[in-house]
Amino acid sequence: MIELRRVSKRFGAETAVDGISLRVEKGELCVLVGTSGCGKSTTLRMINRLLEHSAGEIQIDGRPVQAFDEVQLRRRIGYVIQSTGLFPHWTVARNIGLVPTLLKWPRARVEARISELMALLGLPRDTFGDKYPDQLSGGQAQRVGVARALAADPDILLMDEPFGALDPITREELQEQLAGLQSRLHKTIVFVTHDMDEALRLADRLVVMDRGRIVQQGTPLQLLRDPASPFVESMLGGEDRGLKAAALIPVSERMVAPGAEALPRVAVNASLRQALALMLSARAPRLSVVDADGRVVGELGLPQLLGARAP
Amino acid sequence: MLGALGLWLGAPLVSVAPNRIVPGEGVYATELLGTVLALSALLPLALVAGAGRLPTLSGLRGALALVIALLAGLPLLLAWAAQRLVTPELPGARLGIGPAWWGLLFLFLLALVELRTRLAIARLSLWGLLLPVVLVWWLALDGWLAPLALVQEFSGRRQQFATALVQHLALVGAAVGISLLIAVLLALAMRHNPTLRRTGFGVLNFLQTIPSLALFGLLLAPLAWLADRYPWLAELGVQGIGWAPALLALVGYSLLPLVRNCYVALEAVAPGVLEAGRGMGMSRRQLFWQVRLPLALPVILEGVRITTVQAIGLTAVAALIGAGGLGRFIFQGLGQAAMDLVLLGALPILGLALLVDGLLGALSRQLQQGADA
Repeated sequence: MIELRRVSKRFGAETAVDGISLRVEKGELCVLVGTSGCGKSTTLRMINRLLEHSAGEIQIDGRPVQAFDEVQLRRRIGYVIQSTGLFPHWTVARNIGLVPTLLKWPRARVEARISELMALLGLPRDTFGDKYPDQLSGGQAQRVGVARALAADPDILLMDEPFGALDPITREELQEQLAGLQSRLHKTIVFVTHDMDEALRLADRLVVMDRGRIVQQGTPLQLLRDPASPFVESMLGGEDRGLKAAALIPVSERMVAPGAEALPRVAVNASLRQALALMLSARAPRLSVVDADGRVVGELGLPQLLGARAP
Repeated sequence: MLGALGLWLGAPLVSVAPNRIVPGEGVYATELLGTVLALSALLPLALVAGAGRLPTLSGLRGALALVIALLAGLPLLLAWAAQRLVTPELPGARLGIGPAWWGLLFLFLLALVELRTRLAIARLSLWGLLLPVVLVWWLALDGWLAPLALVQEFSGRRQQFATALVQHLALVGAAVGISLLIAVLLALAMRHNPTLRRTGFGVLNFLQTIPSLALFGLLLAPLAWLADRYPWLAELGVQGIGWAPALLALVGYSLLPLVRNCYVALEAVAPGVLEAGRGMGMSRRQLFWQVRLPLALPVILEGVRITTVQAIGLTAVAALIGAGGLGRFIFQGLGQAAMDLVLLGALPILGLALLVDGLLGALSRQLQQGADA
């Protein structure tokens, strides 16, 4: 658990972060989103003390961060940055083994952990272990970055625009992979991005920042339904908000009992947005909802999709 | 190619002198070999040129083999000339090497470099290919080339030569070593101190602009004064002339390229890499030794290479102020108008510079490859 209480950071006369309070529960993925210069990266870097905060208090598991030795603190917090920061003169395997080696794990345990993580991130060690970072694609390099951050099995992961430099397709792949990892590992993650779609896709809790302050926080759906200010609304994409909200709600939440009719089929775990897209392309006001085995388990009509029932 | 033709026929191949004092008399290839043989010797040259024109793989390989054979043939040519021209009746007679021979050597080496690039031969296999050439040269020098003036100058000064070589190497080694140590410390201090950085580079730039001979001269007075004032310094060998001013001047000249390379190398490490290292919990010490220094090393080594080559050349001038080294032979030779004695100093200096350049360059590339291959 990470807690910030009225935390400020000043650089000379300039206030980069202005009295923010934030609580990230254990196992929660909290996304800080805002335009560049809003203080989101500064906030992140104060948590592992790459920057010292000027006022307020930052606690990790109820202990103020100053109570930790800064080097020891950072070794128990995973850290991923946009440029990956992989050491170009070390092999992929050695890069991943960095923190366990710093923590003086026995060699065999480090080796086993490297193999385990490379398999977890879909980078077989036989193929990639002895490569150097320059020989990897952007997506592979960032996967190694994530593996390195996870190496010593930290409870907390800080990610500073990790997928910002990747092409859209790779970015989406990595977002999906991160969501998949998180559903298994339940780390406490603070994730910084300026990409609202990425934020909506990943966040358990979404924190919108502007000029050093938090302007609104809540679940993605809460923010989409009820933006607190025109700024938040414009960040959320203005008129696209409805579609973005629909992308977050699964079909299963809105479907009703199936009829006998043969209709275009949509998967039960698809989003309302995908269902709407199908309705538009098939010119069908109603769809059959099917499960993974192709059995019809429900039906979704336009009225349900438009939200007769709110969750 | 025409150049080779002109050299071969139009310039003396060797020269013969009855003794050291009398200037040698040029002997042309046509005189030495007879016109027919000299002209037929042009055949391989034409073949090399022809093969170069047809850029087929086998053509290039054939040309390479020929060039290697020709390189091996050059000392044999000299040996043969020595046999023919230096008669036993004149024990003091000596054979000088003429412009045609040097020109051919130069052309063959040029062809070798060109062929190597075209065939993309790895450094190591090239050395393998050149091994027979080196062997032939070694044998020729050892056995058949005794009448060669260069060899005579050498055999008269075997001991002196060894001393000079050691002195030369010691001066260069000490200068570069001391400079490297100072440069690393200075570069580290400069990273945290902008004032030191500005003044430091200013002073070093200024030092670099003083002509080397002038710097040796300028050091004469203060060092002589120091030695006079503190006898223990004089006992160590610190004097106005000798190794002390030479070493000081060499260090002064070596500092600028070294400091610049060290500083740039240490600063040029990608900030993201350092940020990540710090963020993952590396201490400052670990970050420096495991990340910053290894990543800076190829560039630092590049600086060492440039500096060492420069120092090898400068040390030749240091002979003028009595610091010894191979430069002695050059200045002695100039004084006695004995070109072959000049060569005895100049050729090893050239060889040393090339050798160091090649070795350190290879090491630097090796490190670079470790970093980004």
